[in-house]
Amino acid sequence: MAAPNGSIPNGSAAAGDTGAPAVVGINFGNSYASIARGLAECIANEDGERQIACAVAFQGEEMYLGNQAKHQLVKNSQNTITGFRNLLGKKFSEIPQSQIALSAPVIQHPTEPDVPAYRVQVLQPAPSPLPKSAAHTPAASNVATPRSEPISAERILSVSEVTTIFLKSLLQSAEDFLGKKVSGAVISVPAWFDTPARAALSKAAEDAGITVLQLLDEAGAISVCTIARDADLEKDDAASKEDPTPADRTALIVDIGASALELALISLSSGLSTTLHTSTVSDGSVGGDALDSALIRFFAKDFTKKTKAPLSVAPSTEPQDKRAEAKLRLAVEHTKRTLSASPGAATCSVESLKDGLDYTGSINRMRFDMEARAVYTAIGRSISKLLEEAGVDGYAVDEVVYVGGSACLPGVDESIADVFREDVRTPFKAGTVVGGGSGDPTTVLARGCALQAELLTNIASAGGEKVDEITGSFASGSEHTQVKTTSRTIGLLVPVAAESAEGSIAELGGVFVPLVRKETPLPARRRNVFAFAISPDNARVGFELWEVAEGIKIDRIKLPAPEPEEGEEPEEEEDEYEEVKSVTLAKEKYLGSVVLEDVKGSKEAKVEVTVSVSQEGKVEVKAREVAEGGKETSLSVGA
Amino acid sequence: MAAISLPALPASWNPPSDPSSSISSLNERKLIPAGRAYLHHVQRTVHDLSFDAHDAHVEEERK
Ligand SMILES: Nc1ncnc2c1ncn2[C@@H]1O[C@H](COP(=O)(O)OP(=O)(O)OP(=O)(O)O)[C@@H](O)[C@H]1O
Ligand SMILES: [Mg+2]
Repeated sequence: MAAPNGSIPNGSAAAGDTGAPAVVGINFGNSYASIARGLAECIANEDGERQIACAVAFQGEEMYLGNQAKHQLVKNSQNTITGFRNLLGKKFSEIPQSQIALSAPVIQHPTEPDVPAYRVQVLQPAPSPLPKSAAHTPAASNVATPRSEPISAERILSVSEVTTIFLKSLLQSAEDFLGKKVSGAVISVPAWFDTPARAALSKAAEDAGITVLQLLDEAGAISVCTIARDADLEKDDAASKEDPTPADRTALIVDIGASALELALISLSSGLSTTLHTSTVSDGSVGGDALDSALIRFFAKDFTKKTKAPLSVAPSTEPQDKRAEAKLRLAVEHTKRTLSASPGAATCSVESLKDGLDYTGSINRMRFDMEARAVYTAIGRSISKLLEEAGVDGYAVDEVVYVGGSACLPGVDESIADVFREDVRTPFKAGTVVGGGSGDPTTVLARGCALQAELLTNIASAGGEKVDEITGSFASGSEHTQVKTTSRTIGLLVPVAAESAEGSIAELGGVFVPLVRKETPLPARRRNVFAFAISPDNARVGFELWEVAEGIKIDRIKLPAPEPEEGEEPEEEEDEYEEVKSVTLAKEKYLGSVVLEDVKGSKEAKVEVTVSVSQEGKVEVKAREVAEGGKETSLSVGA
Repeated sequence: MAAISLPALPASWNPPSDPSSSISSLNERKLIPAGRAYLHHVQRTVHDLSFDAHDAHVEEERK
């Protein structure tokens, strides 16, 4: 492939690009944002950052964005704006004023009623001498004018204006990186974003020059990314051919950002996703900020031990301690990234942390996990609560998808593992977290949005009948999102003679295979090929169709008592038990039987079974022997 | 993917009597408007196509 013209930094822009505009996906978090095009890597801004801090700072005549702006939090916090995403669409009176502001405080806009805003000090160029004419003067003609000293001025920026400034810089970074114009974007929004918040975000983005193709729920972005990854794995991963990811499954999305934990239990059904339950915890007890607090308390203690200088942080009250805390907060960003990348020692260095004393310390992952225990426990508790509210046992969750920067920490995955089945799929197990792999929690949202953006532009450009209605179906609240799902799993049962059966086969009286899982959106169609054994005396194959009730059974299994060490008195110990869970199935409704007589096969018959369930719940089963002149039969069930 | 193997019907088997006339009542849910599968779902609804008819249509477009 020929190298593209022009310079494209960082090499991840696809080669062979023409000048045609691109569409991108934007993950716009409250703390960090990222941009992606396609399923490939995220875009880096001019500072080489792919996780771009949602911060805007003013210092003198300069305006800083992203992580550079975040660094202004130490010495220039009053002119540094953070946390604006979560305020979009809110009235000033709706924003709790108790929040301690580490950055520029939210104020009532001086002229617009009930509008949240920020006040910052900036230096403005001195007013130039009277322009020569009202028409636009070419900039060059002003050059000769001697420049007077800039004057200090106050600037008022509404939450929407700050958002526009920030998004505009994201757009610029993307266009610089890609070397082409961006013609549209899909932007992720959290599940709790209401109509005013969505409207405010759309407006701010449009004002920034971004054509918003869709505001996509984070769970939607994740499911798009997850499904694309399945398809990719199936193509080239030999392991996944042996153990393919089931197309129908229940996934739990665990999104651990800086200030919030967002959980969503979703059902993935051959690419269609429905949300079963969601929850948000944003009281500061879970997330990266809480982990930072634990970490900086650890380092502050270490600092005091090493220098004898007192330092009390998180919370801090003295101005000097506050300054030190702000410095530590910036420094531990790096420490955490090192900790998630490797189990060894991760350092934290701050020049002149307090009283002119420098600090360098380190922590390894094991120690960090101890410090983080309370946060991990709180995450686990929130997950258990969500599952309980949803009425779903952790054992029934097939996959955990991690999202958000703080979910990069392997300790999170380890600490919640016992809620789930041993064979639950997680990106840590699959080894796809590190190095920006397909399971990288910091990029999934942007990549999912990017794929969605491509899908939407393809629909629009393909045109065709009713294209407007189809495009419109992606808008939030579209009637097409209303759907009915099955409430029980429907499957086939091949009866087995009682004497030859054992275990669950004996309990059910046969071999059961689910065909249409519960929570399958309708209409649905599922097709499978089965190899039925043929008994020598009877050339017929077939099965019964049943609805089943699924449950979880818990067995308490006594653990073997530990062998007493040699020379030690055997201790009187209480018996220890382990809880072992397993899935139970109970036949609930018999729906009919399907039998093929006189099949062609001799030892076995390959039979393709297609089950369709209509929107109203009418079931059609077609069975066909896959052989020349193979028999066919069908069964329909009511509605 | 290999086909799942299933046993033969026992010689003594007869279909159970009295099948139910319908499946259990359905749940109301909201689809997340995302991904190709959602697009296909909407296309089938909007154009009133069966799965098979829609498959044929998609196949046609690919050519
Ligand atoms: N590799 C990493 N290891 C550990 N923590 C990380 C890593 N990368 C980012 N973080 C942390 O993740 C958090 C940011 O996560 P994310 O980008 O998902 O936030 P967000 O969604 O914008 O935040 P919020 O929860 O405030 O809405 C920060 O606390 C950051 O320090
Ligand atoms: Mg987030």
